[in-house]
Amino acid sequence: MESQALWLTLRLAATTTIILLAVAIPLAWWISSGRGPARAFTQAILALPLVLPPTVIGFYLLVGLGPLTFAGRAIIHILGHPLAFSFAGLVVGSVLYSAPFAIMPLVAGFQAIGPEYVEAASLLGASPVRSFFDITLPLAKPAVLSAIVLVFLHTVGEFGVVLMLGGNIPGVTQTLSISLFDQVQDGNYTAANHTALLLIAFAVAGLAIVYARRPWRQFA
Amino acid sequence: MPNPGTERTTRHEIAIRHIAGPLDLDVQFTLDAPWTALFAPSGAGKTTILRIIAGLDCPNSGRISFHSNRPPEPPRQVVYLDTSAHINVQPHRRAVRLVAQRPALFPHLSVLKNVLYRMPALISTGEELHSHDPQLESILQLCRITHLTGKMPSQLSGGERQRVALARTIASGTGRLLMLDEPFTGLESNLRDDLIQDLKAWCQRTGTPVLLVTHDIGEVFAASAQVLRMESGRIAASGPANEVLAEERDSLIRRLQR
Repeated sequence: MESQALWLTLRLAATTTIILLAVAIPLAWWISSGRGPARAFTQAILALPLVLPPTVIGFYLLVGLGPLTFAGRAIIHILGHPLAFSFAGLVVGSVLYSAPFAIMPLVAGFQAIGPEYVEAASLLGASPVRSFFDITLPLAKPAVLSAIVLVFLHTVGEFGVVLMLGGNIPGVTQTLSISLFDQVQDGNYTAANHTALLLIAFAVAGLAIVYARRPWRQFA
Repeated sequence: MPNPGTERTTRHEIAIRHIAGPLDLDVQFTLDAPWTALFAPSGAGKTTILRIIAGLDCPNSGRISFHSNRPPEPPRQVVYLDTSAHINVQPHRRAVRLVAQRPALFPHLSVLKNVLYRMPALISTGEELHSHDPQLESILQLCRITHLTGKMPSQLSGGERQRVALARTIASGTGRLLMLDEPFTGLESNLRDDLIQDLKAWCQRTGTPVLLVTHDIGEVFAASAQVLRMESGRIAASGPANEVLAEERDSLIRRLQR
């Protein structure tokens, strides 16, 4: 029961991290490469999960992915079942809910790199995509690492969205944080203590990785 | 002696009007000499002109074109910039090289990897590089950085960084025009003159015209360059160095004799 929830939590966090990084890196690059209302608006929307109650996001995802909307009906038609109360649904919710934890460090990391390096690469004949992979991404490595750890930890620790969207199905949608809630409801404080300690251990280990790395030294 | 009728000739035609803050530029010139020096006091907008030619900045209005004539082929024209026709070719597509005043060496790469970054033969193979490639070796020697290849940029002095930046640019293939923005500042004058002579030989061999920006008369004479002299955002005079800069040279000599 406990190991089932642990395995599910790790699977959810890993899947979310991989998907979110693939989406957030190009998006953060675009945001950090200029100014304008489109960029500001995108950044604001992506930061919403920081300030909204998770239940709001969970609620709208539950409704939006359900049979009441066109998108929801299309998904049901394609998958044969609604996304809500399934692992895939949890991944969708987690990706949205953890997005700011990927976007924010990445945008800050890309913006911290002086434009002169990319200019130098372009003057040597390197296209913008080429110089992104050769110069920008390696120089932003600490930011990428922060994004990975923060998204992973945040997904491990999320509760509201999972409860609204996933319910509480052991082996399918019951993550560690939900399992902890269950254990407390049942009055099983010993098990609850184990689960809570496990979640704390995750958080400490992950944050230690982020803070143990010295920031990239700036070269004149 | 090559027959002048069959020799390849290239020229860049440049017209820039640009007002930004205190800067008021209005310049037209043609680059057709092997070495041209843009000579002006600091803050006259020289760096801005180079950045505009390279495509890093866009002027209020202007036109920059490259003309190549290599008989029997028909003459060719490439337009990099034409504000009236909304043409503005991206920097990496212009085949124009610029060694910036502040050398932005890639801080996460060693000196050797910086130099190899866009070296054509090595891009395609992507092999792990060794310093035994004759082309690479001669570039390292030309820039006097053979002993630095294992270091990181943060371990270099200012003059060393500039020479690595120069080597990195030459290694990438010099393109249609090589622009040097005060690349020899801070170098001891003997080393500077030797380096200029070697660079001249290199560029002659590869047929690359050079546009050198400087406010150092010694550099201009060492390169025996054609001179474009700028004053308050306009080209005030152009011609061989000993004509255009005669006054400056004489006053410098007078000062040295005193």
